[in-house]
This record gives sequence, C-alpha cells and structure tokens, in this order.
Amino acid sequence: MSEKLRLLAEESYAGELRTLAAEEGGHKPPGWKLSPRQVVTYLMGGVAGDGTLITPKYVGSRALIETAVATLATDRALLLLGMPGTAKSWVSEHLAAAITGDSTLVIQCTAGTDENQIRYGWNYARLLADGPSREALVPTPLMRAMEAGKICRLEELTRMGSDVQDTLITVLSEKMLPIPELNTAIHARRGFNIIATANNRDRGVNELSSALKRRFNVVVLPLPERVDEEIAIIVKRVGEMTATLDLPAPPNVAEEVGRVVSIFRELRGGATEDGKVALKTPSGGLSTAEGIAVLVGGISQATFFNDGKLTPATLAASIIGAVVKDPVQDRVVLGEYLETVLKKKAGFEEYYAALTEMI
Amino acid sequence: MAGAVSIFGIRHHGPGSARRLVEALDALQPQVVLIEGPADASDLLPLLGDPAMVPPVALLSYVVADPTRASFAPFAEYSPEYQAACWGVKHGAELRFIDLPAADVLAREADEADAQAEPPDPVTRDPIGTLAMLAGYRDGESWWAHVIEENPHPGPVFTAVADAMAALRAQAADPAPHEAAREAHMRLAIARAAREFDGPIAVVCGAWHVPALAERRPLAADRALLRGRPRVKVCATWAPWTAPRLARASGYGAGVVAPGWCAHLWATHSDANATVTWLARIVAALRAQGHFVSVASVIEAQRLARTLAALRNRPAPGFEELADAVIACLCEGYRTRWDAIAPALLIGSDVGAIPANVPRAPLIEDLQRQLKATRLKPEALERSLSVDLRSASGLARSTLLHRLNVLDVGWGRLLDAGGSRGTFRENWVLCWQPEFAVQLVENLVHGATIAEAATGRLMERMGREPTLDGLAELVRAALVADLDRAVAAGAGVLANRAALTTTCHALLRTLPPMAAIMRYGEARAGTVAHLDGLMPQMVVRAALSLPHDARNLDAAAATELRHALLAADQAIALAQMGQDITARWRQALREVMEDEGTTRLVTGTVARLLYEADALGAGATTDLMARMLSPGTPIAQAAGFFEGFFEAAGPRLIHDATLRQAVDAWLVSLDEDVFMNSLPLFRRVFAAFDRAERRRLLDALFAPAQATRDYTPVPDVAALWPAHQARVLALLDAGGVS
Repeated sequence: MSEKLRLLAEESYAGELRTLAAEEGGHKPPGWKLSPRQVVTYLMGGVAGDGTLITPKYVGSRALIETAVATLATDRALLLLGMPGTAKSWVSEHLAAAITGDSTLVIQCTAGTDENQIRYGWNYARLLADGPSREALVPTPLMRAMEAGKICRLEELTRMGSDVQDTLITVLSEKMLPIPELNTAIHARRGFNIIATANNRDRGVNELSSALKRRFNVVVLPLPERVDEEIAIIVKRVGEMTATLDLPAPPNVAEEVGRVVSIFRELRGGATEDGKVALKTPSGGLSTAEGIAVLVGGISQATFFNDGKLTPATLAASIIGAVVKDPVQDRVVLGEYLETVLKKKAGFEEYYAALTEMI
Repeated sequence: MAGAVSIFGIRHHGPGSARRLVEALDALQPQVVLIEGPADASDLLPLLGDPAMVPPVALLSYVVADPTRASFAPFAEYSPEYQAACWGVKHGAELRFIDLPAADVLAREADEADAQAEPPDPVTRDPIGTLAMLAGYRDGESWWAHVIEENPHPGPVFTAVADAMAALRAQAADPAPHEAAREAHMRLAIARAAREFDGPIAVVCGAWHVPALAERRPLAADRALLRGRPRVKVCATWAPWTAPRLARASGYGAGVVAPGWCAHLWATHSDANATVTWLARIVAALRAQGHFVSVASVIEAQRLARTLAALRNRPAPGFEELADAVIACLCEGYRTRWDAIAPALLIGSDVGAIPANVPRAPLIEDLQRQLKATRLKPEALERSLSVDLRSASGLARSTLLHRLNVLDVGWGRLLDAGGSRGTFRENWVLCWQPEFAVQLVENLVHGATIAEAATGRLMERMGREPTLDGLAELVRAALVADLDRAVAAGAGVLANRAALTTTCHALLRTLPPMAAIMRYGEARAGTVAHLDGLMPQMVVRAALSLPHDARNLDAAAATELRHALLAADQAIALAQMGQDITARWRQALREVMEDEGTTRLVTGTVARLLYEADALGAGATTDLMARMLSPGTPIAQAAGFFEGFFEAAGPRLIHDATLRQAVDAWLVSLDEDVFMNSLPLFRRVFAAFDRAERRRLLDALFAPAQATRDYTPVPDVAALWPAHQARVLALLDAGGVS
C-alpha cells in the first residue's frame, strides 16, 4: 500500500503501459514511448497484443482522442478546452503518461503566475556570488521538458495573465527558449510538446491572444453524451464525496440523481428528452460537475436540516443556484421551462412546486 | 455468333467506380452498354448525352393513371451509370437499361402497399458501404478510394469487386422474390443483347448483382420467374434533381453520405492536390462566415489530417479526417462552427437542368386530371369564383387553387385573403396565363404531382424562412392547401423556432397566423392536433417575456409592439384557449401595466385591453389615468399613454358612459395650467375622430342628465308586463284595422 494519497497515472497504470510498450505497435515518433495508435488504445481501452485488458481512461468520442494524439504527433501543441468536470486534466495527465512516461512536468497557471515560473528563475545567492551563469538558473517544468524532450502540461492556461501567456509563443513556434542574459537559448529536444487545458465557460478569464491560439490545435471535450453515462458518473462521484465528508447517503439518491440529470440535460441540450419541445438554454454550463455539487449540497442540507431525508425541496435551492447564473435572462429561461415542461411532467410535481416557489 | 459480356460491378454514385468504369470502357470499346435501370425507359438514355442536360437529374417513371405512384432514379455527374451513358453516346454504342421495367415495379408497389423498393438489408443496399463500415470507415467512397484506388495494380479492380461480392453473397440469404425477378430480367436482357450483337458487351450494374448476372442459368427458368407479373401503364421522363436529395440523409436509400465530397473527388480525380483544394474550399466558406483563418493554420490542418489518416491506418485523408482536422485547427475546437458550413460543402446545392425537348408532362397531366375532377376550366379572361368550403367540391377547388399558388402558379387570386369574418367561404378571381404551364413544370424537381410538388416546395421554403410569423404563414398555406406532410414538418420547425425565439415580439406577431391556423383547422377537414398545444405554449412564453420586452422602447418599436399586442390579444380571444392561458396572458398584461419601466404607449395599450376585457374596473382605470397623466409626468410620456389608451377607441368613449364620465371627471379636475400643457396631446388623440364621431361625443357629454342616467327596472315589473303587452297589442290591432 502506497503512502501517497493519490498515485500518478504512470504509477497507477504502470502494468498497462509496460505491456503496450513491449509489443510491436508500429512507428513511434521520436521521443515517444508508445506509437500513436497504442496511445489511443491506452486512453480508450481495448486489448493489448498479448491479451492484457486495457481499461478505458476516457469515456467518450474516440475521434476526439485520435485528433488529440495526432496533434501531438505532428509536434503541434494541444489545447484541451471544455467546461469544468469534462476530464480535461485527466486526459492531459494520461496523454503525458502514455507518450513520455512522465506526467509530472506540470505548471498550474493562476492569476499570480509570472514569467519566471514559465521560463526560468534565478538562484539569487548564486547570481550574486558568481554572476549570471547556467548554474544560477532555476529551471521550470517547461524548461526541463524542453531539455528532456518530454511533455509539459499547463493547467488552466487562461487563468494567467495574457502577457505571461504570450511568453509561450516563441517556445511553440520556434521550439526554443532564449536566455538573453546568457546570450544563449535552450533548444527543445525532439519529443517535447505542450498540452494545455482551459475552461471555455468561465467568465473573467484572460482570453488567449489570437497569435497564441493559432499555435494550438484545439480539442473541445464535451459533456457526457448519454444519460446513463452521466447518471453513473454522478452516482459514483456523489458516493465518493459523501463518504469523504462523512455524510450518510439517503436511500433515494439514485432516483433523485436521475431527476436532476434529466432537468440538467433538458436545459443544457435545449430540448426535452422526447425531443418534442425545444427550450432556451441558460447561460451557465450545467456540467456534470455541477450536477454532483447540487446533489452533495442537497444531501448535506438533508443531513443537517431535514432529518436525513433528501427531498426536491432540499435540492431546489441548489438547482436554482446552478441554473440561474444571470439573474434576469436565466430566470426567464427557468420560468419558461417550469411552465412549459416540468408542470406536466410525471414524477416531477414536487420539483415543479419547490422550484416555482423559490424562483 | 454471340458477343463477349463484361460485367462491371459499381457503387451507385461512386466517383471512384465511375473513373475506373470509364477507363475500362475505353479499354474494352464495347458495342453495347447495358445499364441497370428500368428497361422501358431505354429510349430516354441517349438524352443524357445532350449538352443541355446538366446533372444531377433523375429518371422519373410514373403511373399514368396515378402520378403519385412514381419512382425516381437519380444520376449525378459522378454516377458510373451516367458516365457509362455519356461514354455510349460519345462512342456511338447502343445504350440500354436492363432492369425490370417500371411498369412492373410500380404495379408491384401498389400491390404491396408501398413496401418501398429499398431492400431491407443494408448489405444488399450498399455492399461496398458495408465492407467500408467493417473496415471502420464512415463512407464507402473513402474506403473505395483507399482500398481500391490506391491498389498498385488497378487493372483487375472489377474482378476484385466481383470476388468480394461473391464472397458476401455466399453468406447472405437468398434474394427476395423481387430481387430475384430483377436479376432474372437483367440476365435475359444480357442474353438477348449477346444474341443481337457480335461486339463486346459492357454491363454496368450495382456490385451486389455481379455474381448473379455472371452466373449461367437456364433462360427458361428466368422467363418462368417473370411470367404473370402485373403491369401498369407508365410514362417516363427526365426531371431536374438536386444535390441534397442525393444524400442518404434525405431518405434516398441508395444515396451517398456526402454528395459534395463525391463531386469533389470526381472533379479532382487527376489532381495531386485534391486535399488542399478541399481545404481551400472549407477556408473560403469559413472566411465568408466572418472567421479569421490564416494560411499557416491551413497548413497545420493539412498536416493534422494526414497524421490522423496515418493513425487510422488510411493511405490518405478522407472527409472525416479533414473535418476533424479543420475543427481542431481552424475552428478553435468548436464543432458548431464546422457544422455551420458543413452542409454546403458536404451536401452541396447543385440543381440539375434538362433540355427543352425532354417531355416534362407529369405535372401538366396531373393538372388536367384535377381540372376534370374539380370541373374548372382555364380561361384567359378574369372570372370570379366563390367556393363553399363546406361542400366537398368547393373544398377540392379551393385546395387545388391554394396548391397552385404555393407553386407560384397564380391562376387564382384569393380576394380578401385572411380578412373575411367567415371561414367557410372563399372568393377567388381566376385568370389563366400561358406561362403558368412553364412555371408548373419547373416545379417538377419537387415532385411528380401537384400535391407532392407543393409539399416539397413548401417544406423547402419552411427550412429557409427566417422569421417566426413567416413560418406560421407557411404552415397556414400548407394547411389550406391540404398538404399534411408539409403541415407536420412546418409544425415541428415552428415549435422549435418558437422555443428558441428570444423576443416576445416575434411570438406576438406569430399569434394571429396561429389563430388563423386553428380556425382553418375547424373549417377544413385537416387536423391541427399537433398545433393545438403549440399556441398555448407560445402565449405562455410571450407572457413570460413580455414585461421585459415592453421596457424602454423608442417610438417606432413601441408602435410596433402596440400593433402586435392588439393583434395578439384579438388572436388569443379568437382562438378560445382555456381559462388558465387567458388568465396568464391577462396577468402578463397587468404586470406590464404596473411596471414603471414600461414604455407609456404600451402601458396605455395594455390598460385598454384589460379594461375592454373587464379585467380593470372603471375606478382603477381612472386612478391609473390620473397617475399616468399627473402633472409631474413628462408630457411625451403622458401623451404616449393617452394615445395608447384612446387611439382608434372613439366609439368606446361615445358609448361607454362609465369610461366617458371617468375621463370627463379627470379632465374637469385638471388645473388650468396643467390642462393647457396637456392640450396638444388631447388634440392629437381627438384629431383622429371624424366629424360625426366628434358630434356624437359632444352630444353624449352635453345631453341632459337624464339621458345618461342608468335605467333600473321597476320592482314589480313582472306583474305589470301582461297589462302593458295587452295595451300594445290593442294599439297595433287598431292600427291594422284602420
């Protein structure tokens, strides 16, 4: 048993990666541990040449993962876009693990990230003692990835300031990192690449400049396509989270998950499940992750204020919070949905009553 | 002496097969080219070589007695059959169709209650597509291109296809009786051609049929199969066709996934830069949509497409890889941006043309039959016609005239369209122009009968109509023309669009045509069941968004909303919707009225609507009026309210004593300064009254007090009445005698 709270992708699935690397899988681009096709198999699941079962790491469109892998094989940088909770970081970690066997070269971009954390920093004691030299440089994950020919991951790229983002332009187009202080440059080894993730729904983030955007191939990871997939993901995650939070799970969680998912999917998809009534969509994303949050919030409320009973009324406030992100427009959207759809929908009477009362 | 028979198994509408076929024909130089197609239309084949014939065109066969029973066999430029026919015309070879005659096929369809000619089994329908699917392709054409075109030895392509089909057919079930009959007919036709000609014979047929046609079977058995099959009298002609209808998504079973891609493959078959050409077209379309696309990104897209193709084990990128690459590199990952341009590229919008000398009769024939049935006669002089929709003959006449109008054949002009109170009578003016015949046949592309062409045409227009009320008008047109399919399709589009409409204005404007639709639904036999639920939904939606949309409008927008509101309110009253819907509407009106932010013209309008509906008492009206017109209010706003309330309401002021007194009392209560300030706005409103109205208003105001006093019955009226009646009768009798 490991002491680590969470294992790295290349540690958790070391066996699968070894099996795939051992077999003859076709042409491997320079610096790659697996061939592109094997990387796709590792992500999507399948059977290795020797019959070892490869578990699926990503559930969804194969074409998207193929595009992502092919992008990395053309030495273009990959930008994974998507709403929160669409497995962007998960996919990026597993891609890095499968391609270079190392998913640890990560830069978490925030509003406070500056150029020194992207390019290189200085060991000031050394700098003062010896003057500028290679030894006085403190490499960043990006610099180390360039030197080692590995993949650098940038998490939440749009969270850092635009000026800092733009330091990536030279790295992406010329594959080198100039160090003007030393009149030299780091030239990336073959195999180096960047996978960035960003959130396309958040407001108030720093849009990518078009110069930078042009240097990425973009893959948008969608929300789960099928309702049963989504329900399964939510039930599993809600179970895990309530266990971590020491909340007793009410017996009717699965049913309520089904109803909440149904409401979310109808609003998000802009049509009722039977496809007969088209609807307006609210400005918020209503992602799977928000579905999870609504239920965990509801369960918490039920535990502490409702004798452990999970009812539509305990969920209503969280649902409204998730749907109504713009106080004027979204309220109209939800009002329309309540009056035209939910009012007549069998099994949702209590939701209709609770939501109409609270909106 | 019999000619040698070569059978070329092709993929219908496959540019790859077409190209190989032309090469094979060049090599073989056949004396006869036999093509899979209805044998009784063989004499139409040489027309394909006419320079005025522009594909896509379709071979249309229809039952003379009933043109609704028709079959279309479309040909695109890249269809192997079309290329074979052109080759035959150019080289002077004999051309023949060899499939079962349409006379046989159409008779059978009638028998089997439209069990369509489409084979149930996808393997039979598109065997090459099936092989492609097995190999992981989404389109048979890419598979053909990759597996057969890239074959280093392209010579024995057709042999390879024949072998593959033989293997597939060995696994498949025996052909259905109809399929067996078709193949028997083709075998007999091939045998006959072999007897008649000495030179080489080329047979062009769907790949699936190759093993069956190559098989040697006793001719007697084939003849026995074909004996005693029913026949009908059919007529065949060429009709212009469109690229979208070659697509499988349009419901054409033997269609291709992406006609636009096939056309591209055909046009660029000798071009090494075909991929770049395709990308350049995508880029042009994206730029036309206003997206910035740099050349560098296009280069990246091409690199990505190639890598994807390699990753998917394909020799060259197909349209799937190119689409994925375009989404990642040129559309910033957003599929919607690609989806916006994809139909124009993948499907295309080509429309075929046919030479003038081709018989184009079916619509004219259909018109003749309809004229006979409805006992109408085309006359060049104007003639008026009144039809009663309650009678079957009147309804039939009206339906025909409406359908012709849909087809832009303006033979009948409806007088007083939509304005008459009655719903069962229509007044038409008829006037036939010779060019109507030409306009009629131009509609052949939409269908072989007037009803079908009108349906097709309306459905096409519905897809393009940008406004909601325009769409509702089209649905109404479909309804009065009795075109069920168009009504159903239009209702679907309407429901979707209504839900997505963001302004209540559009919804309000759609309510009058919707009400007309519901009323017509009652007068006509047609059903409007699927629209019944829609109008209440629209009212609820409009009611929900009305309060927001009535705020801060400029003069033009407010006037427009005022007209929309008046019309919508009338429509809601007319449609007689349930109590709760009307109540919801009234509630929205009340919210608008009570909202301080509402533009005053609209406030006045809704106040009047509520007052007229007895939802606003006289006292409340006076209070509201006093508040809205109080001295602190800017004069323009006050004028707006006054105008909204009173415009075109002169008679109400004359006859409604309560309202008149309220207004009168309020006017009298005004201080002189205020009154003088407001005078222009009063003038503005009352200027709209005509002379007689003003006089009557003055009379009503200055009449003696009794005249305006309310009458109340005497308490014991019941007892008094018989005596009164007797006296009146006596007087009348006396008058009669003298």
